[in-house]
Amino acid sequence: MRKLVLVMHTLAWAFACLLAATPANAQQAFADVGKQPPITILINSSPWYGGFEKTVELYEKQTGNKVKLDTTPYNGVLEKARNAVRGDKSPYDLINLDTQWTIEFYEGGFLTPLKDIDPTFDLPKEVLTYGDSGYWNAAKRWRTPSGGKLMAWSPNGNVDLFLYREDMLKEAGLVPPKTWSDVLASCTKLQDPPKRYAVAIRGERGNGIRFEWMFFMLGQGASVVKDAENGDYTVTINSPQAKAALDLFIDVQKRCGPPNAGALGQGDVIQLLATGKAAQAMVVSAAWANFDDPTKSAVVGKIMAVPVPAPVGGKPPALLGNWNMAVPKNIPEAQKKAALAFSRWFLTAGAQRAYAEAGSIPVRSDTFQELGSNPRFRWMPAYLAMQTYAVQELGYAEGAQVEQVLGLRLNQALIGEMSSGKALNTAAKEIEEIFRKNGRRTGSLPPLPE
Amino acid sequence: MKSSFRHWSLLPAVVLFVALTVYPMVNLLRMSVSTIEFTGGVAQWAFTPARNLALLAGDAVLRPAVFNTALFVTLGVTAEVLLGLLLALFVARLQRGKGLARTVMILPILVPPVAIGSMWKLMYNYDFGVFNQALVALSLSPVNWLGSTSVALAAVILVDIWHWVPFVFLILFAAVEGIPPDVIEAARIDGATPTQIARRVMIPMLRPALAIAIVFRGILAFKTFDEVYLLTSGGPGTSTELASLHLYKVFFEQNLLGYGALLSLALIAGITAVLLVSRRALVPRGLA
Repeated sequence: MRKLVLVMHTLAWAFACLLAATPANAQQAFADVGKQPPITILINSSPWYGGFEKTVELYEKQTGNKVKLDTTPYNGVLEKARNAVRGDKSPYDLINLDTQWTIEFYEGGFLTPLKDIDPTFDLPKEVLTYGDSGYWNAAKRWRTPSGGKLMAWSPNGNVDLFLYREDMLKEAGLVPPKTWSDVLASCTKLQDPPKRYAVAIRGERGNGIRFEWMFFMLGQGASVVKDAENGDYTVTINSPQAKAALDLFIDVQKRCGPPNAGALGQGDVIQLLATGKAAQAMVVSAAWANFDDPTKSAVVGKIMAVPVPAPVGGKPPALLGNWNMAVPKNIPEAQKKAALAFSRWFLTAGAQRAYAEAGSIPVRSDTFQELGSNPRFRWMPAYLAMQTYAVQELGYAEGAQVEQVLGLRLNQALIGEMSSGKALNTAAKEIEEIFRKNGRRTGSLPPLPE
Repeated sequence: MKSSFRHWSLLPAVVLFVALTVYPMVNLLRMSVSTIEFTGGVAQWAFTPARNLALLAGDAVLRPAVFNTALFVTLGVTAEVLLGLLLALFVARLQRGKGLARTVMILPILVPPVAIGSMWKLMYNYDFGVFNQALVALSLSPVNWLGSTSVALAAVILVDIWHWVPFVFLILFAAVEGIPPDVIEAARIDGATPTQIARRVMIPMLRPALAIAIVFRGILAFKTFDEVYLLTSGGPGTSTELASLHLYKVFFEQNLLGYGALLSLALIAGITAVLLVSRRALVPRGLA
């Protein structure tokens, strides 16, 4: 009888393995894109670049097609892309754009809708669309598939993860936090400056603080404007909910962070966690590879990831910071087709698996499901959970100006130059002015007490 | 015939001047009264001088940027000239190793600005930087070099001084070496002390070189961008925001081409005004 049970068990297990393996095998397929002319890609040298480069090498090996990469530091990509699309002929066949820059390129009419190159082209259903940032509805001036055209696909989707030192939390008798109250409570045990900081979060002026604070903002249910998608640009950044978010952000930074929180950039946060000086941190998912690389990290195997905490009674927050790969308008048709062929290949399950194994963040949900149980990719479940509620912010033409305003005023509140109420009132006034000058339907809330 | 050739021979220079200086300036002027947006891949220009002026008037970051720039130029250039002068006088008095000293002194100018920014950012790092490690080793509290509004600008100025003192030193050292030895000798025979020789003989003779150093460094300091961009990006708050950095953000990050052009013209006008005033201050004494 026991033997029979054992045989049945083995058969059931083998069947389960077969079932599980079938889709996995199916996902190994790479697209056959045929012979294509060489293409040039403008790409940023971000932490995930190494994986992209290796995947491109695989493409060249598999297809015999040539790809030239113009690898450029983050700050140089935008100007290179602008110069390329504003000229007579772009030297690039694919340009990689930060999600915040896409509006400028969509609105400017610089890009080719992907279905104009090949009407049969579509994103596989497993490919994550990151808040639909690749679609553009020109009439509505909004990134949406509803009435919009597919303009780009994402080679990378960043979202912050809340990383923690498993050993330190265990030693302190703590469990991974779910709310910011849990984080604040953990600080009493973990904060020991200057030897150790409980939490490291970017607070530097500009994109850094704006991006991180928006997780708090979203958690509190606050917003920058009322309903930008439907044309209502009433500024709501000085709402009581936004103030609660800013007060909480400052509280976390003051009680749990380093004294120079107002100057902490991405590199600093990564450095603090990788050297063991920070017990927890909010870090973009693309930085994960730094922590398991023994040449860069003193904490190999000790870092774990959970979704970014929510305020007590608030919503789970997730803000997208993805990249978008697009085809310029000013290149020959054959080059456009070659760029699309690469895109088609890159988004297959096989290429995405290779991409993930080379250290990048894949953009297919099935790749996450396939690799998520592997300890090497232990950050993936948190990432995938956050994708279910992740949103885009500042998705309008004035986004860059609004970011400048928020990046400054939030930083001034953090370093104590202004009260949180004054910072948000000032930001609201300035943002309203930006919208008004651009002819948007705008307004603002009554000022907060300063 | 000869006279007409003389005039025609100027043509290449005039063409180059028009193409490389006049045209860009006229274009900048045209941009400064326009709003430039792109539709269908084509630039659309709209004549909006009032809109750009309103942006200039309502630019909340411009005022601290101008104030910081004035402070940066005044303090930075003053310190650079004083230190450059002292070094030039000191090295000129060396009996041996002048060449080696001069070579070592000019090393900071040879370092690329990006390397300078990265190097100093590491040294200023709150947790791992050499300055704070030294302070902690001396049982002193670490300093928030780049994260404190009261220290950050001074920290950036210090980097600028380190970077540019050698430039001033080179100009003044050449001038010091050019002072005829018999003038110094005559002063010495007349009983002048070394300090008196420096103050009463050498410095007056160095005034033209000092003027050149001040004007050059003043102009370059007004345009400082790389150091502050790499070290603080203008933060915390607006404590290290300089005019050129603000201009970069308007032009390239906010993509406001028209307003950016107006801001450029305003800054060019500001620098020109300062140069004219400083020239007036220097000319009566025969310095420029």
